[in-house]
Amino acid sequence: MARRTGLWSIALAILMVAPAFAHHSFAVYDHTRTLTLRGTVTRFQWTNPHGFIEMDVQQSDGSVKHYSVELTSINMMQRVGWRSNMIKAGDKVQVVVAPLLSGEPVGLGLEVVLADGKTMALPVPAIGSFKRTDTQE
Amino acid sequence: MRALRPLLAFTGALLVVTSHATIAQTPAVPDITGSWLRQGFTVGVRPTGQQGPAPPPAAPPPPLKQPYLKEWQDRIQKIREADAKGQPIATNAVACLPEGMPGMMTATFPMEILQSRGQITIIEEAYTQVRRILMDRPQQAIDDIEPGFYGHSVGRWEGDTLVVDTIGIKENVRYQNVPHSREMRIAERMRFVAPDVLWNEITITDPTVFETPWTFTFAYQRMKDYTLLEYICEDNREFADDQGRQKIRVDPAR
Repeated sequence: MARRTGLWSIALAILMVAPAFAHHSFAVYDHTRTLTLRGTVTRFQWTNPHGFIEMDVQQSDGSVKHYSVELTSINMMQRVGWRSNMIKAGDKVQVVVAPLLSGEPVGLGLEVVLADGKTMALPVPAIGSFKRTDTQE
Repeated sequence: MRALRPLLAFTGALLVVTSHATIAQTPAVPDITGSWLRQGFTVGVRPTGQQGPAPPPAAPPPPLKQPYLKEWQDRIQKIREADAKGQPIATNAVACLPEGMPGMMTATFPMEILQSRGQITIIEEAYTQVRRILMDRPQQAIDDIEPGFYGHSVGRWEGDTLVVDTIGIKENVRYQNVPHSREMRIAERMRFVAPDVLWNEITITDPTVFETPWTFTFAYQRMKDYTLLEYICEDNREFADDQGRQKIRVDPAR
């Protein structure tokens, strides 16, 4: 019984921390691989509960695929140095994302190389749980 | 005018004596006004240089009675399995609903405490949650309170400790998925354990669902010079599908 209570304490301790960080679960994203998107920003959306980078990514066959990159809360971003004017439509950026498991063209942004070459990390909770493979999209 | 001078001097002296007496009658209360963040949270915040004693222990499991305990354990298991499959169950947060009480006191986003005459106001940055603690007033009967997210709170200072009693939380406002009845009461005891560290010991009682009171403590670190940011759910692309799973709206036209 003591052992069972102990296990539940651990489970609870994990649960009590996990949902508190984010407005929702990040379990919809693939934790086993990342994609590197290089493309042109169509919109940088500075909103809560999450920000977004909308971008067009050139494919190897010449076609263009549109991606939505989900970011964290802009409050968290702002506290670690992000600003709403850091990205604008037309910017060429490189973004490392954890892709949506469903296969739809959406990714969770983990890191962004801005148009001026500066690398900005995203304050994603448990970011280490996303295995970086940085496959070129 | 010269004749009035002694009278004016006397009146002035009287005013000084009276105001001193008034000050002496009002006991000094701790100054908890300012911005606070839960200790140990380092994602998306500036380092705060945490101080104070070792953090309080993690919460024990909720002392639920059967069948509530089994229902809660099954729910936690279901959440874990759904997460492992990449199909998380949608929570209130997916609909951008605030955490309510006592969830907002987890302060994983900064929290502001404001002390004013007869009231202490607590604002949590995430979802712009606001609760009002009415000071030195009697609590009302539970049946007289319309249930809400933050409930009805009354408080008083017991020496250096702020003691708060909260009732009237909606039954769908659940902290850590733990069920509760209309009879739930949340007792808080807030006090400084170091100059810039505030501990909030929370005790939840509920004769319908709990065997014994459920007690746990949150530690807050003062964030000097931090002003709360606004938080509006301006574009929430998350939604619950017809199976109750969390999904994201995909709009390739953007």
